[in-house]
Amino acid sequence: MKTETLERLRLKIIKIDAMPTIPVILRPLLRCLDQPAEEVDMNRIVELVSYDKSIAAQCIRMANSALFMRNSPSESVRSAVMSVGMWRVRDLLFSNSLSQVIPADRWVVDPLVFWKHSLGVALVCRKFAEMIDYPDPEKAYLAGLLHDIGVIVNCMVAPVEFRAAVEKATRELIPLDEAEHAVLGFRHSDSGRILAEAWKIPTEIADAIELHHQIGDPDRGGPLVALVHLSDLLCRMRDLGYGYYEPRQVDFPNEPGWLYLMMKFPHMAEIDLARFTFSLDEYAKEVGDLVATVFAS
Amino acid sequence: MPNESTLLKEDAVAAESLGDPAWIRIRDLVYQVSGIYQAENKFYLLVSRASRRMKATGARSPREYLDFLTARPSRDAEMRNLLNEITIGETCLFRSLPQIDALRRVVIPSLAEAKKKMAFTKLRFWSAGCSTGEEPYTLAMILMEETQALLKGWTFEVVATDLNDRSVAKAQEGVYNDYAVRNVPPAYMKKYFTKAGSDYRVVDSVREHITFSRLNMLDDSKMLFMRGLDVIFCCNVLIYFDGKSKTRTIQHFYNALLTNGYFFLGHSESLFGISEKFHLVHFPGATAYWKPGQSLSKAGTP
Repeated sequence: MKTETLERLRLKIIKIDAMPTIPVILRPLLRCLDQPAEEVDMNRIVELVSYDKSIAAQCIRMANSALFMRNSPSESVRSAVMSVGMWRVRDLLFSNSLSQVIPADRWVVDPLVFWKHSLGVALVCRKFAEMIDYPDPEKAYLAGLLHDIGVIVNCMVAPVEFRAAVEKATRELIPLDEAEHAVLGFRHSDSGRILAEAWKIPTEIADAIELHHQIGDPDRGGPLVALVHLSDLLCRMRDLGYGYYEPRQVDFPNEPGWLYLMMKFPHMAEIDLARFTFSLDEYAKEVGDLVATVFAS
Repeated sequence: MPNESTLLKEDAVAAESLGDPAWIRIRDLVYQVSGIYQAENKFYLLVSRASRRMKATGARSPREYLDFLTARPSRDAEMRNLLNEITIGETCLFRSLPQIDALRRVVIPSLAEAKKKMAFTKLRFWSAGCSTGEEPYTLAMILMEETQALLKGWTFEVVATDLNDRSVAKAQEGVYNDYAVRNVPPAYMKKYFTKAGSDYRVVDSVREHITFSRLNMLDDSKMLFMRGLDVIFCCNVLIYFDGKSKTRTIQHFYNALLTNGYFFLGHSESLFGISEKFHLVHFPGATAYWKPGQSLSKAGTP
């Protein structure tokens, strides 16, 4: 996208009152998670959960659901966090705090499909990162979780046009970003970038948000962009996509992102792509259960 | 063939012991030997089938059964039994919908476009290891539907082969029970089947497109004659081959396919570490191996 067009878009988005504001707990949560997995402080997570009554209630409900309940029901936030596991609580915090930026009636896409895709890409990003020895799998996870954040912006700032784009995509069975480009003149990756900057999300993740559909310039964003791009594609080929059939053939080992990672990470060559693909069906189930539990009314 | 209700009952029994780590090792071993991978959502299936074999062998625990598969002199035979058990009941018409969608919505349109440029209007499919005919009939029905839409004016042929004479004979009959046709869409049922007692018989207009014959895929001299194919299906057959025969057979398939042709395996089967020539390509919910190349003219013709 041209710089001036992007600048105009930025002004347009920032001017609009509907511009999503950052949820209170999101920034401390990002900070808390921007460190190696083993150093994330459980007490801090419990504290963050306790800030928000509806999240705390959700956490307890989840801990007491058939999926997680062990022996006796959890009554405190702490025991709920313990039984659900810190990582799932993090997912819950994220999806919940992001949900708060958009009222339920403003969603243009199905929020369940959206979260399933976002969590799916996050999980696949992390798994992928671990397989190739990418040094920070948790960062990859975060990038995956946030990669489509622009969809939320689009719901808020251009609901009518965005709905037309979604309809065009599902009618013509083309990728969402292409339909957005045709109808809106920008993609969710562009508006996501603007939101990421407004929210002061780390640059590397903002790059992944912006470039995950166009990875022409590998020097921007580096491996993280490629990881998110490939994980997004894989999810769309494995029941964790946009919720409609994309009639296409993807040749992963010849995708630019794959070739780029091959140069940077020798372990890429050892990936058993077929097996990795089959194992994604496990994620599809896990993520489906999680999303169903989080959003059960 | 076990019916669904008995399968469900056995699954429930097996669910209790799902947590045993030996099952994971058995799953990985099955993958290593056969390329069949049961993801977690199908894991109970593997455990249920393997439990059945465990009982039959008298093994007292999954760990001991693992020994039967790895350490005993009869391990190859037992692996074969287990693979039989795992793939049992997998033969029915319209077995894998994601594969069928990939065929209809991606593969056939892309083949048609490429071939039209060369003024070719014929497609040839091969169902290798067709067993009792469910797969070739499914393919023929899909292609017949397409010749009324995208492939108007085209002709097609489905070659169906199997090692087993009796399977081929049964395939030629084209008569199936309720269980085998359970996935067939109602519109296809109406169009392509007639009632035969309590069973269903495939109509002749479908059968006319299929050539059935006996073929041993390990017989190089016969395999050399298979040429000029656009799509090959070979589901749950290669799993029984050792590494060397697998490599050789895949090479035959590669040669048999035209450039831009596709090779489909069973739903959770893969070629990892066997062939570098094919590209593993993804469609929504399905994978296939693709013979790359831009030009059809270089491909071998029969």
